[in-house]
Amino acid sequence: MIIDETIKKDIEELSGQKLSDCYQCGECTAGCPTAFAMEPVPSQSIRLLQLGKYSELLESAGIWLCAACNVCGERCPRGVDYGKIADACRTIVLRNKVTHITLEKVDKKFILDAPQQAFIAAFRKFTT
Amino acid sequence: MTSFAYYPGCTLYTKSKNLDLCARETAQILGVELKELETWNCCGAIFSTVTDDIANQVAPIRNLIEAQKISNKLVTLCAACYNVLKRSNLYLAKAGNETYRKRLMNFLDTEYNGKTEVVHYLETLKYDIGFDNVKAKVVKSLNGLKVASYYGCLMVRPSEELKFDDPDNPVMMDDLFAALGATPVDFPFKGECCGGYILVDKPEVATKCAQTVIENMAASGAECVATTCPLCQYNIDNQQKMMSKQYNLPIFYFTQLLGLALGIDEKILNLNNHFIDPKPLLKQKGLLQ
Repeated sequence: MIIDETIKKDIEELSGQKLSDCYQCGECTAGCPTAFAMEPVPSQSIRLLQLGKYSELLESAGIWLCAACNVCGERCPRGVDYGKIADACRTIVLRNKVTHITLEKVDKKFILDAPQQAFIAAFRKFTT
Repeated sequence: MTSFAYYPGCTLYTKSKNLDLCARETAQILGVELKELETWNCCGAIFSTVTDDIANQVAPIRNLIEAQKISNKLVTLCAACYNVLKRSNLYLAKAGNETYRKRLMNFLDTEYNGKTEVVHYLETLKYDIGFDNVKAKVVKSLNGLKVASYYGCLMVRPSEELKFDDPDNPVMMDDLFAALGATPVDFPFKGECCGGYILVDKPEVATKCAQTVIENMAASGAECVATTCPLCQYNIDNQQKMMSKQYNLPIFYFTQLLGLALGIDEKILNLNNHFIDPKPLLKQKGLLQ
């Protein structure tokens, strides 16, 4: 996977967000329900992109923990939606044919028990 | 009888039949027919926010075109279907998205400009039927049952697009339960995420999210919970066994409690399809034989 300066344009276009709009207040991270397990957290993720450390974020585990709950975008005082940025970052990785999960990795008890909705959503967000 | 186009979605045909069947039955009692689309496909379960993602928008838009054969209004029940169908529709109709719309139309047989109005059954109950008229049909008052209304993410956000209710303090379901004779319980995490589809990849993270929500409901005095989303239902019902503390809180679909108050058949309520058995609580409250 080639990561260079053009990736910033890709992330901004795919997400519809302007990275320099973020002034690092941390409201997104404060409201994020999965921030306790997310590394880097939403505000740090945007900071990495602002500093040009694209591969550090694209290769991180953090972008895969966004549950698309929309709290960050709803509460951002600058109108930046980190959920859309995470979606763009995941899409770039997946379009480079690097899948995040496979069916074999999923706990079998969920395959029988959990609602279809969970699998459709997860496989849309996590597979090529 | 007023008829509205109705979209059940994939999960309501299998794992969450009680959410679906109780809605159809209660609508009938309230003088509204939920007319299922003749053909439909899965909405995709999650809205793709990626601006050039035409492929994932075809499925939801096909359903919106199909709805036109029945009515301009399309009623949904599952929070995810509501969120995906409504947002896909708005994105297509948004000013400035003409090029996107033209590209999308290459994959569809019928021209479409966004005229189907996507609503949730709760909105049908509030605006088309009216909670006062629902109240008038109650045969079994919920008798002060302390219900925590759990809206989750997909009903309330993004509020600018969905315009469903206050994203930080939604009350539409609470008002419905008050009309049914229950006591709505206020708690701080009405719109907090249950962990959603993260369950599939990192179950321990999803379960911790769900526990945060349940803990707050229990601490606020809730005896049970009502939800609109099959995934919320699963994460806060079935996953209770995985939590570090046991709350034993029954998790209903809002249509089950509505059905109970309107006196629908116990078979349709399907109270056996729960991990935490709700029957002892309902018996204790005199709501079940």
